[in-house]
Amino acid sequence: MSGPVRFSVSWGPTVRASARLAGFDVATEPLAARRISSVLFQDRVVDRPLTGRRNLEIHARLWGVPVRQIAGRLEEIVEAFTLAELIDRPVGTYSGGERRRLEIARALVSEPAVLFLDEPTVGLDPRIRLELLDVIARLRDRSEMTILLTTHYLDEAERLSDRIAVMRAGRIVASGSSGDLIAALGDQLLELRVHGDPGASLASLARAGIAGRDAFAVGSTLIVPARDRGADEARAAVASTGAEVLSAVQRRTTLDDVYLWLTGDDLVDAA
Amino acid sequence: MATIAAPITDRPRVHRSILSPVATLARRRSQLTVRTPRELLVPLLTPVLFALVIAPALKEALHTSAAYESFIAVGTIGLLVPLNTMFAGLSVIVDRAAGAQRELLAAPVPRPALVFGNLGVAFAVTAFQIAALIVAAVARGIYFDATAGGIAWFLAASAMFTIGMYGAAETLASRVPEAEEYIARVPAIAIVPWFLGGSLFPISALPIGLAWLARFLPITHALALMRYGLLGETGGLHDIWGMASAQTMAWLSLVVVTAFAALLTAVSVRIFARSALR
Repeated sequence: MSGPVRFSVSWGPTVRASARLAGFDVATEPLAARRISSVLFQDRVVDRPLTGRRNLEIHARLWGVPVRQIAGRLEEIVEAFTLAELIDRPVGTYSGGERRRLEIARALVSEPAVLFLDEPTVGLDPRIRLELLDVIARLRDRSEMTILLTTHYLDEAERLSDRIAVMRAGRIVASGSSGDLIAALGDQLLELRVHGDPGASLASLARAGIAGRDAFAVGSTLIVPARDRGADEARAAVASTGAEVLSAVQRRTTLDDVYLWLTGDDLVDAA
Repeated sequence: MATIAAPITDRPRVHRSILSPVATLARRRSQLTVRTPRELLVPLLTPVLFALVIAPALKEALHTSAAYESFIAVGTIGLLVPLNTMFAGLSVIVDRAAGAQRELLAAPVPRPALVFGNLGVAFAVTAFQIAALIVAAVARGIYFDATAGGIAWFLAASAMFTIGMYGAAETLASRVPEAEEYIARVPAIAIVPWFLGGSLFPISALPIGLAWLARFLPITHALALMRYGLLGETGGLHDIWGMASAQTMAWLSLVVVTAFAALLTAVSVRIFARSALR
């Protein structure tokens, strides 16, 4: 379970951190905070011997949905998530994608103000993953619910999020829109694959005035914000040190680059 | 301070009573239990075997009286309760490893409700099994000499012992990470005390050191009380307390078993709440 979601289910007086969730202090009002939120867990968290309907009912009752509203609420959600053919079968008979749909439906039965999605697409095959991203995107567009998505797949974050926070060692090291975060590195990057010591190559780019403190290396790949310098110029600077340049391209910056920059080591310093 | 989502103006409806979520959780647990017949039947096998087969065989082999069969029949309840509650504890680990425990932890219900929901079902299943054992024993011709007051003593002792043993099971389930590790510890908690607690023979027959140890075991008090209630037999209570008044001794043993139940329940709730933060 990822840190933010672990925090979400551990609300109570024993939590040392301080946070408000839709106005409720999670340490002093844990039940109210949990009441207005739901969690979609990374792993399978269902009662497999029970039917899908029973799983939804248990959630509705525990989250305090009035008893007379439960049947109607379930009808709506079963229709919205096309679960009609599955809902009265034991969950143990569901495929991975069907179970995921049920879990999302369950999280929404209580009409939460905040929905935590804890790495929801981990372990899913590509088709189910794309379908699930569509479901989340529709949720995001249709409702005023706040969705907090934790993921290592930054294309998901870019596609689904208004605001992205990058965490390193349990701390937020940057946050903002996808555009804001990318702008910090610049729109264009130089990407070089080198044979030899990447630290030394990065240092040579720094000496040539091509790489700044925001340049970094991941394995044998150097990532350098372009800033009006071209790939050929960078290739020449690295080659002048005797290192072999396997490839050098200029391309658009992605959130993956930003993530690697914010969470990796600064090899310019190391060099 | 981090703020996730804008404040909402209408305060959410949170359960004011713990009873409603406990009822929902108990119903869930009972539905899971009935889909696992082994949880109902397996703990019953050994005690029934003891009461219906081994006790009569011992009576024949040792040339004892019919009273010994009755003695053993009650003694087997002291095996049934720990075995059944330990099985119930195992389902907590299954819930944690492959079930919906995390969903329940994220629910807006007090954490003790999760323990009480499981306890309620373990209690009901144990009651059913004790009733089944007694019915089987009576059908086999084993005689119980119970009055209304005696039945009350028996029920009180059985109830408190069951609650205490479930507390032990829930505590163990919260402490150990794997089912294998849990199962490895069950004999030490469920079976060894049963042998020492006056189940097959009075504790006065034990070596003096073990007899003293047995006086501190909740099962010894529970079995003595059950025999006092169902058989009118005061020997077990006398072996513990050495007093003349059976009523006084019974009350003292009930206090011990009740304290055991209260302590283990409190510990299990605390340990569960802590383990939920891991």
